[in-house]
Amino acid sequence: MTLQAAEVDRETRESIKDFLYRESLALDEQRFRDWLTAFAEDARYEIPVRVTREKLSEWELSPNSRIFDDTKETLEVRVKRLETDFAWSEQPASRTRHFITNILVEPTERADEFRVLSNCLVYRSRGDETTPSLFSAQRRDVVRRDGGGWLIVHRWAALDQAVVNAHNMSIFI
Amino acid sequence: MSTTTISPGLRQLLGEMREGIPGGRVPARIFNDQEIFDLEQDKLFSKAWCFLAHETEIPKKGDYVVRYIANNSIIVVRDEHGNITANLNMCRHRGNMMCKSEMGNASHFRCSYHGWVYKNSGELIGVPMFKEGYEGQLDRSQWGLVKVRTETYAGLIFGTIDPQAPDLEDYLGGFQFYLDIYLKQGLGGSEVHGPPDHWVAETDWKICAENFSGDGYHTPVAHQFGFHLGYFPSSGSTHSEGWAVNIPNKGHAIGLGHTPGMPAFFGYPDELVEQMHQSLSPEQLEIFSKTRTAVGSVFPNLSFLIQPFSLDPGEPGVRFCTMRLWHPIGPGRMEMWSWCLVPTDASEEYKEAAYKAYTLTFGQAGTFEQDDFENWIKVTRAAGSTMARDVEFPYVMGLERPKLEDFPGPGHAVSPYVTDTNFRNLWSTWLDYLTREE
Ligand code: FES
Ligand SMILES: [Fe+2]
Repeated sequence: MTLQAAEVDRETRESIKDFLYRESLALDEQRFRDWLTAFAEDARYEIPVRVTREKLSEWELSPNSRIFDDTKETLEVRVKRLETDFAWSEQPASRTRHFITNILVEPTERADEFRVLSNCLVYRSRGDETTPSLFSAQRRDVVRRDGGGWLIVHRWAALDQAVVNAHNMSIFI
Repeated sequence: MSTTTISPGLRQLLGEMREGIPGGRVPARIFNDQEIFDLEQDKLFSKAWCFLAHETEIPKKGDYVVRYIANNSIIVVRDEHGNITANLNMCRHRGNMMCKSEMGNASHFRCSYHGWVYKNSGELIGVPMFKEGYEGQLDRSQWGLVKVRTETYAGLIFGTIDPQAPDLEDYLGGFQFYLDIYLKQGLGGSEVHGPPDHWVAETDWKICAENFSGDGYHTPVAHQFGFHLGYFPSSGSTHSEGWAVNIPNKGHAIGLGHTPGMPAFFGYPDELVEQMHQSLSPEQLEIFSKTRTAVGSVFPNLSFLIQPFSLDPGEPGVRFCTMRLWHPIGPGRMEMWSWCLVPTDASEEYKEAAYKAYTLTFGQAGTFEQDDFENWIKVTRAAGSTMARDVEFPYVMGLERPKLEDFPGPGHAVSPYVTDTNFRNLWSTWLDYLTREE
């Protein structure tokens, strides 16, 4: 990738940004059913496992290990679970705040799809614990035009920690 | 070379624990305590066979991973002859860390401080200014990396830093019979799907090790959503059925949950079942064919789980298999590695399906995993409180239950599977290590 990327018109960029902000707002407000509607039926949701490697190694993000390796169907399983009274890891619920910044929108081969890079910092506070979990990630999403709105076709988020400093990942990035 | 001195208070606690276990009493304090942690580092993790890696993590010559025994960083490598060796990750010159990455491939390791060079198997072969500085007076054969003794079983690489430790076969003491359900899924055995999930948790490793020594009791409650939505192929009313087996005085244990009416080898592909008829003994087949859930642990801190999972309730789905290491890094704090093991000879489609089932259930974001750790951090926190220092927990479940005399596998087997029998053996073995005189 060079520093100069192909231009995407301002209106498209603003509209996608707005969509991603609303998507993360649904998470922070625990409106998980609403959140699911942000995903296309053929969507993939992936968080690769990061491994500390020597510089110049072939990969640092595992090509075959995933923390999340989801489809819309399995995301819905997770949401269904959160809707039961027995999702103990979210009882009481985590308080999350998603900070989405550095959004870059790039064209793809398909006129109706765009690649969206963003930085994502998630602050999670649980119960009376005074130490929050912080998840810093780079996201590379693909979004597809859907009428007047957008759908996420691919959510890919790479956490910056190789040893994740949290007892679980009961939240979404 | 044990250096930890036991305080009078701790000595009394361990003495009382010794008296209490046969009657089913275990002190809460052991689950989060600085003195216990120190003693474990010295007398347990420095004496036992500790899990290092799976052979399939380092398939090629030069492949290495960096793991731990107690607080020692260990390089586990497949050397240029294809042999597995392990060395302390510390330069013999002034102690710099040799490997700073978690895994990689190297024929040699070169220290970034003064430049000593070692073969990947640990021999010192290069010393800068050997003539000018040392005047040739350094016997390189004496200053290789510090070796760690290793042995393997069915792909599992274990290491021990106790030169007096018995051999691995003796240490496992017959538990190999049960490990085969995870490690001999077909003629080609099992392989890791990829690098493990790796995270830290404010949890004492012992809580996890106990849970994975056959705690079928927690499943219908801690993982109630799975029963409620139909993703767990068992029901609350029959969930206690099955067997709990332990190897007396060795600490290893397994819970084998059974769902009445479930077809034999539910969730395994046919080709694999055929192969298992060759890779397993008739006694193993008799037990494993009926097993729905196999949740077991090699003492002290390596655990396994195999379980069918389907997104369509009632369907066989696939069997996913996880292997996990609960590594203590402080009292009430641990580092966790979790692998998915797949049958080497299964189709790529089956391996992928099994891996997806693993991530959805027991990976770091797994829906079952999440609930376990939420409970375990709370247990840890409570166990570290001052009042808990005088509290005991009841381990009386199945106290009078007779040993099954006609059970086809080795060890002490009881039925049903919901029982504290395995845990009494686990904690008395743990106590043997902590109180052993040099
Ligand atoms: S510390 Fe390694 S060469 Fe000096
Ligand atoms: Fe559990």
